[in-house]
Amino acid sequence: MLKAVLSLNLLIVLGLTTSCTKKKNYSEKVLEVVVTAKVKGFDPVVAGDTYSSNEIARVYEGLLEYHYLKRPYELQPNLAEAMPEVSEDGLTYTFKIKKGVLFHDNKCFPQGKGRELKANDFVYAIKRMADLENISEGWWLLDGKLVGLNEWRDKYNGKKANYADEVEGIKALDDYTLQFKLTQKYPQFLYSLAMVYTYAVPKEAVDFYGPEFLNNPVGTGAFMTKTYAQTNIIEYVKNPTYRDVRYPSEGSPGDKEKGLLAKARAKLPLVDKIKVNIITEATTGFLKFKSGELDYSKIPKDDFNQTITPDQGLSDTFKAMGIDLEISPDLDTTFIAFNHEDKLFKDNVKLKQAMSLAYDHQKANELFYNSTGILAQTIIPPGIGGYDKDYVNPYAKHDVEKAKKLLAEAGYPNGKGLPTIKYETTSTTVSRQMAEFFAKNMSDIGIKIEVSTNTWPQLTQKIKKKQAQMYGMAWLGDYPDGENFLQLLYGPNAAPGPNGSNYNNAEFNSAFENAKNMQPGPERAAIYKKLAQKLAEQVPLLVGVHRTSYVLKHSWLKNYKFSSFEHGNAKYYDIDLDVKKQVLESGKLNTAKQKTAAN
Amino acid sequence: MNGNLNYIIRRLMYLVPVLLGVCFLVFVLFNITAGDPVLMLLGKHGSPEQAAALREQLGLNKSLFMQYLDVVRSAFTFDFGRSWSTKQEISSMMMQGAIPSLTLSLPAFVLSTFTSIFFAIVVAFYRGKGIDLFIRVACIAMMSISSLVYILVFQYLLAYKWGLFEISGYEMGFPNFLYYVMLPIIIWVILSLGPDIRFYRTLILDEIYQDYVRTAKAKGLSEKVILFKHVLRNAMIPIVTYTVVQLPFLLLGALLLESFFSIPGLGGMTITALNASDFPVLKAITILSAVAYIVFTLIQDIVYTLVDPRVKLQ
Repeated sequence: MLKAVLSLNLLIVLGLTTSCTKKKNYSEKVLEVVVTAKVKGFDPVVAGDTYSSNEIARVYEGLLEYHYLKRPYELQPNLAEAMPEVSEDGLTYTFKIKKGVLFHDNKCFPQGKGRELKANDFVYAIKRMADLENISEGWWLLDGKLVGLNEWRDKYNGKKANYADEVEGIKALDDYTLQFKLTQKYPQFLYSLAMVYTYAVPKEAVDFYGPEFLNNPVGTGAFMTKTYAQTNIIEYVKNPTYRDVRYPSEGSPGDKEKGLLAKARAKLPLVDKIKVNIITEATTGFLKFKSGELDYSKIPKDDFNQTITPDQGLSDTFKAMGIDLEISPDLDTTFIAFNHEDKLFKDNVKLKQAMSLAYDHQKANELFYNSTGILAQTIIPPGIGGYDKDYVNPYAKHDVEKAKKLLAEAGYPNGKGLPTIKYETTSTTVSRQMAEFFAKNMSDIGIKIEVSTNTWPQLTQKIKKKQAQMYGMAWLGDYPDGENFLQLLYGPNAAPGPNGSNYNNAEFNSAFENAKNMQPGPERAAIYKKLAQKLAEQVPLLVGVHRTSYVLKHSWLKNYKFSSFEHGNAKYYDIDLDVKKQVLESGKLNTAKQKTAAN
Repeated sequence: MNGNLNYIIRRLMYLVPVLLGVCFLVFVLFNITAGDPVLMLLGKHGSPEQAAALREQLGLNKSLFMQYLDVVRSAFTFDFGRSWSTKQEISSMMMQGAIPSLTLSLPAFVLSTFTSIFFAIVVAFYRGKGIDLFIRVACIAMMSISSLVYILVFQYLLAYKWGLFEISGYEMGFPNFLYYVMLPIIIWVILSLGPDIRFYRTLILDEIYQDYVRTAKAKGLSEKVILFKHVLRNAMIPIVTYTVVQLPFLLLGALLLESFFSIPGLGGMTITALNASDFPVLKAITILSAVAYIVFTLIQDIVYTLVDPRVKLQ
């Protein structure tokens, strides 16, 4: 007994005295990235979250993609030969597909050799999206938009869909020509072709793998999965049959100076492998980054002040590690929603205005976003049509006296006669702190707030069932168009749709319907601006901030540029193995570790 | 022997009513009181039409009785279907999750049990003396610190700063997994030492004050012989009870450790399922835990007969 225990303890001591870490390998360019949530498999039609979309886009591709370097975001052909020909009435889009594109070699094909991509693969992929059996989270993109597609969907509701049954709105005219017919003008349609839901899928793979298709991705993308078994690591290797795709030779102003065009015209992908680490704890991920085991990382909230200086620069410790900081605006808006199904908020604009004025937006930004957010004036974030940097929302500021006055005009002087308002939130520490901060602000003008904590499923359920009186939320743009933000307040999108505040204003609805069908351009942007500003003054939501992304990257990671639409971007990243070896072996990171500890 | 076999068969037969009861509880918890998971699963753009289709696909529009039967069927066939959120087959998820969990929990459990018993014997031997006091105080001090502190400090110091261990991650296969589980195992052992040493010390002291010990002392047997030959043997029954009851929970791994060290075990899977309203996974984990608990209590009874010949299975 004694001997056994001593031996076991000796093992621990040995473990402590000899390094139990794996040896570093500098022979291959391996991109090491972190994902903070579980990935829901690789079926393009069912992966609705950002994390899964990013993984799917390493393997699969669509007709279009966002230009890697250009800002504002710009669509460019990916599997399409060129941008589509659009008919004069704006209803027919005809694409030519690139020739010679091959699916990954996979046992679902004869002799295991990937076949050539054909226009029909897109027809099949879009029908899969429409097939109710797949319950695609992306269906809203094409719901009612393509001629005959809804009818096809309804025809096979509750039974096995016949994919050979033609749909007028999506046809392969020949192997390399694809035609879409829209039911009405829908300029956002092209964005849907850059989203993973519509990516090309080979029917052979779906038939061969059946329900396990989501674990066996077969695409045309730059990478193929090496291991994927719902573990915490996903490994990809370079696709040996990837077509000739080159690094862009032009970008946004300043890109050249940052070295982002150094690899112009280089054949993609630039790295040999990708290792995706699924790490749900932010502190763990950040330690791994600081050790050089991840190539880039966001900064956890609790590490922010040690990492970023008050003037938004990088602290000396991180500079000594050779780490670079990239600050970029995210395409999102945080807000606190009023449920307009509740008669308290339905017509009482002054009450909502008073609450917005009582809320200290600046302090909230400081407390919860380390003052990195851009204070939102309307629901539309910077970088897209409809955002007006000069507009100041008269109700998105902290003015307690004016708030009290408006509250009295609303019929509740000092909150008298106003019932306690229930604010729903999740049980995470930050969410509860945000809720308490809101309650404290409201108590300053006499409004009583009861904070109710929920699990995320419970909160979602309450919002979707229109039972949440007030709640905090953020909307991350699906595509770079103001329409995607304004639709959050479009009446017909009420819960369970994305309009969780159930705002329904006939005038806004009609103006929105007209604007969303207009072609992108200054005229439409001006209408979006007007709509957003009119909404801001009606306060259907209490707007918060547009968050900013702070990304740290090691000196060996080349060509990294932040994007709100990161999917498919890994093929542009590069690793300088010499720099990596030199930094890791020089102890540069270790020296900085000592400094961090000393601090 | 025949009696033993009858006992085992009888205990296994108890599984049926117990499982039916567990199924009923699981059914009430997840199908009746938990509310509608469909709205959560549909994502931010879900429509009422999709909600109806999904409800049908998940079998949520069946009568409650039929839904209960589905739970019972899955419990008896161990076919739990597919996860609602990841769409993976639950049986393969459990298999994949159980291995990483066990590679962490089993060695940690064995190490912590033996170490704790060893220290408990030492403090019992030196009861009332300085070493006893020191270890007892140390145990209380160790128990007073939150497990999160151990994890964060050890991960920061041992893995990040001194580079002795991997910070996080997991690789299947021997010896690859060892690199990743060493540090969590050490933390597990340290976390267990405080409560376990105190518990085993109490068990041993209970025995030490028995009459037979006094008799043995009167016969002139040495303290060591009494402790190892008599006291420890008699203390084995409560020790076995305590350890065997913990075994089924080893399968579920360690939630915090798995989460902070990114070990893809069943603990992390449970939390992910909980956050995603993934009821089939939660049902499967609950039912399998119940089965494991019943089986291990049976094993416990059998072990009693081995450690104490006076115990008979009847």
